[in-house]
Amino acid sequence: MTSNPISSRIHGPILLVSAVFLVVVMPWLNSCGLIADFTLNLWGKYLCYGIMAVAIDLLWGFTGLLCLGQALFFSLGGYMMGMHLMLMIGKLGQYKSDLPDFMVFLGHTTLPGFWQAFHSFPFALAMVFLVPGLLALVFGYLAFRSRIKGVYFSILTQALTYGAALLFFRNDLLMGGNNGFTDFRTLLGSDLRIASTQRILYICTALLLVAVVAGCKWLTNSRFGLIQRAIRDSENRVLFSGYATANFKLFIFVTSAMIAATAGALYVPQVGIINPSEMTPEKSLEAVVWVALGGRGSLYGPVLGAVSVNALKSWASRAYPDLWLIILGGSFVLVVMFMPNGIIGIPAQFAAWAARRRNRDATTAAAPANRVTDP
Amino acid sequence: MFPFSARRVALCASLLLRFALSVVTCGTLAAGINPPVRETIAAAVTAGTPDEQREIILTLKSNPTPEAISWLNKWKEGAIFLNQDDAGSATALLLTGAPDADDSYATIKLSDGKPMLAADGSPVRINPKTVDFADTDSGLRRAMKEVADLAALADPDPEKRIRAIQDSAIGQNPDKLPALEALKRLEKNPKAQRALDESMAIIQLTSSEPAQRIEACNTLGSLRSLAARDIIKAMVSDSDAETDKETRSAANHALTEIETHIAAINAVGTAFRGLSLGSVLLVVAIGLAITFGLMGIINMAHGELIAVGAYTTYIIQNVFASGLKLSPFGVSIAIPGLNLQSGANLYFAVALPASFLAAALVGLLLERTVIRFLYRRPLESLLATWGISLVLQQLFRLIFGANNVQVNSPLWLSGNWTINDVVFGWNRVFVIVFAVAIIAVTWLVINKTPLGLLIRAVMQNRNMAACMGIRTERVNMLTFAFGCGLAGLAGAFLSQIGNVGPSLGQNYIVDAFMTVVVGGVGNILGTVISALGIGVADQTLQQYLGNPVTGKILVLGAIILFLQWRPAGLFVTRSRSLD
Amino acid sequence: MSAKPFLLAAEGLNKSFDGYQAINDLNFYLDEGELRTVIGPNGAGKTTFLDLITGRTAPDRGTLMWDDGKHDLLKLSEYQIYRLGIGRKFQTPTVYNDHSVTENLVLSLAGSRGIWHSLFGKVTPLQRERIAEILDIIKLTGHAQRKAGTLAHGQKQWLEIGMLLAQEARLLLVDEPAAGMTDEETHRTGELLLSLAGKHTIVVIEHDMTFVRQIARNGKVTVLHQGHVLCEGAVDQVQNDERVIEVYLGRKSKAA
Repeated sequence: MTSNPISSRIHGPILLVSAVFLVVVMPWLNSCGLIADFTLNLWGKYLCYGIMAVAIDLLWGFTGLLCLGQALFFSLGGYMMGMHLMLMIGKLGQYKSDLPDFMVFLGHTTLPGFWQAFHSFPFALAMVFLVPGLLALVFGYLAFRSRIKGVYFSILTQALTYGAALLFFRNDLLMGGNNGFTDFRTLLGSDLRIASTQRILYICTALLLVAVVAGCKWLTNSRFGLIQRAIRDSENRVLFSGYATANFKLFIFVTSAMIAATAGALYVPQVGIINPSEMTPEKSLEAVVWVALGGRGSLYGPVLGAVSVNALKSWASRAYPDLWLIILGGSFVLVVMFMPNGIIGIPAQFAAWAARRRNRDATTAAAPANRVTDP
Repeated sequence: MFPFSARRVALCASLLLRFALSVVTCGTLAAGINPPVRETIAAAVTAGTPDEQREIILTLKSNPTPEAISWLNKWKEGAIFLNQDDAGSATALLLTGAPDADDSYATIKLSDGKPMLAADGSPVRINPKTVDFADTDSGLRRAMKEVADLAALADPDPEKRIRAIQDSAIGQNPDKLPALEALKRLEKNPKAQRALDESMAIIQLTSSEPAQRIEACNTLGSLRSLAARDIIKAMVSDSDAETDKETRSAANHALTEIETHIAAINAVGTAFRGLSLGSVLLVVAIGLAITFGLMGIINMAHGELIAVGAYTTYIIQNVFASGLKLSPFGVSIAIPGLNLQSGANLYFAVALPASFLAAALVGLLLERTVIRFLYRRPLESLLATWGISLVLQQLFRLIFGANNVQVNSPLWLSGNWTINDVVFGWNRVFVIVFAVAIIAVTWLVINKTPLGLLIRAVMQNRNMAACMGIRTERVNMLTFAFGCGLAGLAGAFLSQIGNVGPSLGQNYIVDAFMTVVVGGVGNILGTVISALGIGVADQTLQQYLGNPVTGKILVLGAIILFLQWRPAGLFVTRSRSLD
Repeated sequence: MSAKPFLLAAEGLNKSFDGYQAINDLNFYLDEGELRTVIGPNGAGKTTFLDLITGRTAPDRGTLMWDDGKHDLLKLSEYQIYRLGIGRKFQTPTVYNDHSVTENLVLSLAGSRGIWHSLFGKVTPLQRERIAEILDIIKLTGHAQRKAGTLAHGQKQWLEIGMLLAQEARLLLVDEPAAGMTDEETHRTGELLLSLAGKHTIVVIEHDMTFVRQIARNGKVTVLHQGHVLCEGAVDQVQNDERVIEVYLGRKSKAA
């Protein structure tokens, strides 16, 4: 993958400005009434998706692992937060019971044991990390130990997600079945339905996004990043350089799962609902589209992709509901075929094209630096 | 309702008639000829009291012919009318022909089938509204049912007869024993004989003699009677119901025998269902085994190619019938129909090749426009084909609507065979036969045709094949189209056993990929074995867990663990090249 | 097992691929500090032998002991074997194409291979010096920041040898180092290998007999044939062995 052509001199300031804009300016404009509450809330959702996209990119763009289970980790994080939010509804629900409405509806009279501890916010927050992290750890350990990689890894993660979605659709899992969790009221004592709470959630999301991007930037620039990309390009060679690649992959897989889970945990109180349709393989693939469209192997591309595709979706699914899927699918095919490095990579692609033209004009036969396949 | 007064008046006449009838009956019996059934019925209809009516009906039990049953049914339906003449005697009538201006019909006497004549000799026409129809009460209907049950026991069709015999045990009425015993002496059909033994034994379980009950238990045990299971279970579980110790032990023994038999039936049934589910998986995955297994292309649109096949079948079905109207993108297209009468059973023969070709064509288009640029980038081909799958799904919705469309399966798919209490549904048998056929075709194409030779050469070593002058581009194209065509066949097949809708393919794609991965990429035999294995495992788990979803999840988990043991699938194609 | 301490001892190794016997009852002993050259016709099992040592493939039968029997290599995975100090240069140059030349060397530097170290460990001045030194040896100083994928074939070979040097391995397994090099480069490669002998134990697999004669001046030559050791000895002795002439040199001279 070619590195970003924009020189780092302009790069830094642009990023700083966008970070400040997202974290400070947008909420400020909202509090002044210049940005509608609805719009800010929508952007909060986009940025959650952006965080998930970075998590996917960390795996796919930098390590070569195309995981189709990221929506699962995202939703699991969301579900963990959702459990806490459900309990915070208290007697305000339809059935005026301490139990979440769906449990009353299913005829339960006591709260199941595994729900009890979710009354505590710190516990719920810990679970946001632990549950997806543990799942990723176990699955990743099994997968990487038996050296499942490439498309096999994708297919297996897809099957994992599919199986989990089937499980969550069931009522007897006591996680809300089909309808999932909704009708949240308060988080840490603040009413979720008022603008100021939502603004704070938005700011948290934007801050998290900046932190995640910065963290990943540091990670990918360390020697770890070198190894990561080496694994992507030639895993066997890395193994023969003495690195236990399985451990490295496991580390990055679990990290990525936890990042996605945090995004999910912030997504749920802002969107107000979580249900099993969020954790299907299709949702994972959709998120992969954002990364591919924005540009994988760069950390800003995925965010750009997530925000732009979702903004486009918000508009097109209202303006052209029948054609939206065709637009999405079609643009995906085009991006994969003609823009391997996404939007972020367009300048580089253009530069390379211009260089080829120049070279052809000068009739110097300089071989372009194509990616060379594994040994 | 009968007007009461009319009854009273008719009493005298009917008594006379009955007397006469019984004389006739005696006479004809001696001559070996039965009295005309319709006369008996007519007598019953016009008899004075319900008790008398019942008695006359019950005489039919000695000779419960189908004719008698049909008359009794007419009576129950209210199709027999009563005409009172001036003298107050009633005649049972049937109305026939078309109504005239007064809504009156021509009449026929039930007793002899001749038109009823008025005093002047002219035929009488009657408006049904002006006369009473012969009514029935619950006692009469019970008597009629007794006759009908007996008739069914004598039905010439063995299957109906057996069902009637089995039904006769319901209620465990000892009054039915003599009739069953009589039948037993005449019955030749072994299955019917078995049913008779079973029913008689079930009835005998209520016998007051412990010895008879024990014998009944033994019989039922050795017959492995499924019908007796709950009855015996009740005997055993409730100590008040059965007090005799020996009988209880005999019942217990019988129950064990029956339950062992049930376990065996379930095992065979599960294996059979597993085999048929495995065959579905196999048919769905065999195309993938070619495109993914042999060529290494991750075609996420494989499911939609299946849907292409299914929709092609849908179109062909409608072309054979009355045509089809579609309105994609607001353009309305009418496909004319051939209105073939025999179309319902024939269309499938045409739909099979058509769906193969349609899917192969779409596959060819895909290969030429997208996939050929991504041969060396499997992850990218996964993503691009997923995009295509989204587009195709939406196109299906726009063309055929978001709801499922109706594809009628031929009648012959709805029957079943029952062998030793195990039901083998024809649709499941069809599934298995179809899978065998499709595997045979694939095997022949790959191993016995020149194209197959080229396919194998190119898949083993693309560069080498190219060096030897094989046009690998063409072979790739044809191989991919062939794999897609197989997906189309799977679609035609799935349309016969399930719903056809835009997301048809999505329901199968994960399973299909898992099947190929477990089987080992590049090995069709592996795919066959893994499909059957997954199918049987899934059905077995379902049987034990009583829950399809948990079973499915466990199978997915098992597959992940299985890949720990054999990361490259069941059958590994070993090679010396790195990666 | 013999009383004499071997660095590497392979006994009774067998490996077949789909019925093809690549390694057939192979016995091979290597002393510390040796420079051993392994020759043999195509399909003699040379590369497969290296695969067995480095853990890429598992043998069907046989033993493979390291450092006087202290470690059973067959029980270890690739990276564990590497960490014992066994480095390998592949037949086709395998470097990290998307990384710069320096980065390639950084990844190969001796030291911890753990995740923690990779996250927080810095390249020390000492290591930087070492990299500069290696770059000088492999004549790539001027290309330090270039992507390895853009190097010429011979340069990639050198880079891979440089990666072996950075590793400071006890045993260097070098698979056809001279392939794709000019005569001058080949000669320099030979000199480099000779200079390393003594400090490291080296096994070189080679086809080019001129090169073999250059590097096997003082060391032993092992001839493999059909997965089996045909003969072993000084280069002249081997070259005059009739069996060798028949299976290998004869064919080779015909080809030449």
